[in-house]
Amino acid sequence: MASSLGNSPLLPSPLAVGRSLVHAARDGTLGRAIGTSVLRLSFGYGVSLVAGVALGVGLARSLAAKQAFGPLVLGLSSVPSICWLPLAILWFGLSETAIQVVVILGAMLPIAVATEGAVRQVNPLVVRAARTMGARGPRLLFSVVVPAAFPGIVSGAKLGWTFALRSLMAGELLFVSGGLGQLLETGRDIGDTTLVLAVIVSIVALGRASEWLLFARLDREIARRWGTEAA
Amino acid sequence: MFAFAKAADSTEVPLAEGASRSPRAGAAISLDAVAFSFDTGASIEAHLEVPAGQLVCLVGPSGSGKSTILNLVAGLLTPTRGRVLENGAPITAPGPERAMVFQDAALFPWLTLRKNIEYPLEVAGVSRAERSDRSEALLRLVHLHRFAEAFPHQLSGGMRQRGAIARALATDPAVLLMDEPFAALDAQTREILQAEVERIFLETKKTILFVTHNVREAVRLADRVVLMGTRPGRILRTLAIPLPRPRAVGDEHVTALANEIAAEIRTEVEKIAKEEADDAWVVPGAPVRVDPRRNLGGGI
Ligand SMILES: Nc1ncnc2c1ncn2[C@@H]1O[C@H](COP(=O)(O)OP(=O)(O)OP(=O)(O)O)[C@@H](O)[C@H]1O
Ligand SMILES: [Mg+2]
Repeated sequence: MASSLGNSPLLPSPLAVGRSLVHAARDGTLGRAIGTSVLRLSFGYGVSLVAGVALGVGLARSLAAKQAFGPLVLGLSSVPSICWLPLAILWFGLSETAIQVVVILGAMLPIAVATEGAVRQVNPLVVRAARTMGARGPRLLFSVVVPAAFPGIVSGAKLGWTFALRSLMAGELLFVSGGLGQLLETGRDIGDTTLVLAVIVSIVALGRASEWLLFARLDREIARRWGTEAA
Repeated sequence: MFAFAKAADSTEVPLAEGASRSPRAGAAISLDAVAFSFDTGASIEAHLEVPAGQLVCLVGPSGSGKSTILNLVAGLLTPTRGRVLENGAPITAPGPERAMVFQDAALFPWLTLRKNIEYPLEVAGVSRAERSDRSEALLRLVHLHRFAEAFPHQLSGGMRQRGAIARALATDPAVLLMDEPFAALDAQTREILQAEVERIFLETKKTILFVTHNVREAVRLADRVVLMGTRPGRILRTLAIPLPRPRAVGDEHVTALANEIAAEIRTEVEKIAKEEADDAWVVPGAPVRVDPRRNLGGGI
């Protein structure tokens, strides 16, 4: 049984997956798919990060904002992002915009929730100390509150990154042309298990590489300043 | 580890070195029939005159309003009744002429010691060149120039407190508000820092309000000790400490006076406790303790 499964096209050997990976890389399909996905991610995640951090800081610092949007943000952040897809398609059709809506909603809300928590947990003594030095308004916010919350904001940003990647893959898998998600779907269409696994390997690599590129330096810097353990 | 020993020569560094003006002398502070109530119902009341250039220590049990008084003078709280005045003018907001030092330093963990000290100057709009001159002088004043580029977590507790004192002095305030600044330190470091505070006080003539649970520390430092009680938080009495300065570490006059006052505080506290016997406030049945080195906060 083990040997029959070993030869089965449903569970290809690592070698076969490797060959498929090389093949897809050679003929450019993998490169194009990665390029498309990375481009979408960069845009969607960039927007999520800026909007999510701003929203989170707003929720933590403004009672009016908290009352107006707090329950909404908390409620919506628990909706799996792919659930937005039908609505996004109704609004924007089968378009780039639709998938960006899914990515942004998927990443922005967790970032906002994490940022709000991080800002709320800032040591009040640190803020009081800054106020006795005459800092207030935007300066207090940007030179004290946000830096003090920085480690927590970075955790939120990391979380947002994985959410963005997941949302994008789900979206691409379901309908949008190009990207790694669609290459997965292609693999399924033509019954090529090796291609499907090769794409999954690529997604893992993309996730690891981007985390390393985006967050490793930040983690080291946080550890250096706060004296916390580097991850 | 500490830099005190070899830094004896640098105690000469004038505080105002690098600043264009001479150090600002202390301001008179008065709490004019002040009352403050928290929304929880807790309240304090106080009437207190602190002449310019005096060092006043506030002692009293936990919850007697010491921190609240400091926060009122800082301008972080606004009195519910009465007025808080600096040189006769009402204090309405925090400002760089009244600096605060907290128990756990509250240095910014994301900035180096130097940047921490320069921060209030940055807020005050001081030029980069003057900032760096001034932080250099302050780092020397508290014997931390070798640790200028260290982050707070890389410093010992005593070093962090000295850093916080340097930062508080950066804007050359007229009033220093110190809320149990040495409570978390070991006895030896504490004594060294008490000497530093006295030295800075004698050098700069700033007005200092210093909160402590330690009667010996209060007597060691103060021109006047303000004894506070609870429910509501209020001033029970003030005692002048007419000992000459600088006071030596093991000064027996300090010890003797501290013993007397500690005994008095005991009696005072027990009297109040009896008055409030219907409350859940329990006074230990132990005999009157007169060891002034005890932290009163734990026992009363
Ligand atoms: N933020 C707050 N909200 C509500 N009540 C407060 C607040 N801060 C202090 N209080 C109350 O006000 C009273 C005075 O508190 P305060 O912190 O000034 O005491 P303290 O003398 O500094 O005590 P400790 O020695 O423990 O620091 C206490 O009854 C306390 O419970
Ligand atoms: Mg206190």
